[in-house]
Amino acid sequence: MIALVRLRLAGFLRTGRAVAPLLAGLVAFGILYGGGRAQPAEAYGVSAVVLFPVLAWQTKILLDVEPDVQRRLAQVTVGVARERLAGLLGAGVAALVAVAVALAFPWLVGGVTGPVDPTDRSVPVGVALGLWVHLLVVPAAVALGALASRASVGGAGYGVAVLALGGVGTVVLGLTGSVVPWLAPPIMAAARTTAGDAAAVTLLGLTAWALAWSAAAVGGYLWRRRARG
Amino acid sequence: MRLENVWSRYHRRGPWVLRGVDVRIGPGEVAVVLGRNGVGKSTLLQVAAGVLRPARGRVTDRPGRVGWVPERFPADQPFTVARYLTGMGRTAGLDRAAADEAVTAWTDRLGLAAFRAVRLPELSKGTAQKVGIAQAMLRPPGLLVLDEPWEGLDATTRELVPELIDEVLAAGGAVLVSDHRGETVRLPGARRWTVADGAVTEETSLPEGAVAVIEVAVPTARAAGTVARLRAEGHQVLRVRTDARPAPPPARPGGDDPAPDDPAPDDPAPDDPVAVDGADVAVDSAAGEAR
Repeated sequence: MIALVRLRLAGFLRTGRAVAPLLAGLVAFGILYGGGRAQPAEAYGVSAVVLFPVLAWQTKILLDVEPDVQRRLAQVTVGVARERLAGLLGAGVAALVAVAVALAFPWLVGGVTGPVDPTDRSVPVGVALGLWVHLLVVPAAVALGALASRASVGGAGYGVAVLALGGVGTVVLGLTGSVVPWLAPPIMAAARTTAGDAAAVTLLGLTAWALAWSAAAVGGYLWRRRARG
Repeated sequence: MRLENVWSRYHRRGPWVLRGVDVRIGPGEVAVVLGRNGVGKSTLLQVAAGVLRPARGRVTDRPGRVGWVPERFPADQPFTVARYLTGMGRTAGLDRAAADEAVTAWTDRLGLAAFRAVRLPELSKGTAQKVGIAQAMLRPPGLLVLDEPWEGLDATTRELVPELIDEVLAAGGAVLVSDHRGETVRLPGARRWTVADGAVTEETSLPEGAVAVIEVAVPTARAAGTVARLRAEGHQVLRVRTDARPAPPPARPGGDDPAPDDPAPDDPAPDDPVAVDGADVAVDSAAGEAR
């Protein structure tokens, strides 16, 4: 299965289709960090919100690069479950690379600053919170991208609709005072937590919420794949 | 492997392509899937290969290793022939050295050696089809499913397909192959499944113990040795003659006596007059052995 993951990642890179989400992410980060300096935890919280739709889009592109018949060949070769898992793993690896870029970017462009006030978080704590919130984004974004992939929804139009709905819905339903926040992954809530009081129980709760949402979305993806044969 | 009451369609409310199909194929057997265009041959093959999940019914005892050659190889991929095949070999569970070795062997055998560094989208249809065959054979499959494998192939490779099938069968595998070009005449011992109106029926044209006659031309000096080897493999040598014209139908085993001008079929002495230029050997073989 690892060989299949590598083959899919190689296909993703060699087609050049990895460039579009990478550029989109860099432009978004440029705008984000171009406005001034912020402390790491706060900056990374917003960065994670920005990164979420980019990673979902990147996942959809990665899964859509492979022709349908080649995907079926892989299924015959490694079995149904491993073929599905290899796609998700490949998208996860690509997402982790993007997370590394996102974490490094503000330091490269001078977009972050150290503590200003004695009550401010230290840089290591801020970076740790930033790492947590970005890792929280990965499974949710991969799940949303998989749901939007051609193998799941068929036509390209439906895929774009799922991506747009998922991206916008995550922001809108995640706003403070939302009636049904649990319908979306807790990206907005996590961003607010990094900027405010990040109690351990809150972090654990948000992590569980994100994993549960991602599991449900992956379940939906697998169900769609099964239904589509 | 057995398909039990298999129903298949492509959409929830779409028309049924297969309706209650019940077929089985065992180790060492080959079945040719016949039928008009769009009748469901590829669907049947994909269900058998595990590409499609039947809406109803089930597939049991599918061999662990399946090789599937799709009707159209997906050449729109950013790899060279060698990189793609190596990747598929690794995906199939071969280690690096074994994958390289298998890729070299199969690209040589299928005439792809000159194309190893060529990118898949640049291949002609026939060459891409060869890559499709190669990826299915990198690990010897227990079930080989060939969807119109002769499509676009050159004459040399068309001749090679029955050889590959024979090798899979000899190793105890099973083979399913579809064909609408009449190429399966090259598989005289194959079972014949006809797909029509969602059902699969098996033709029983071959009676029990049916035989096929193969005429083989060998250099005169090797005639005696060839006869001995064929007999050692269990074939029945009907006669040995010295002209290269196609022979008239030979006598059936246990039937009429051989023609008076033919040597005794079962006892050509090593110094028999077969050692003449252009000698032919007519071999009568059980149908199952003649694949």
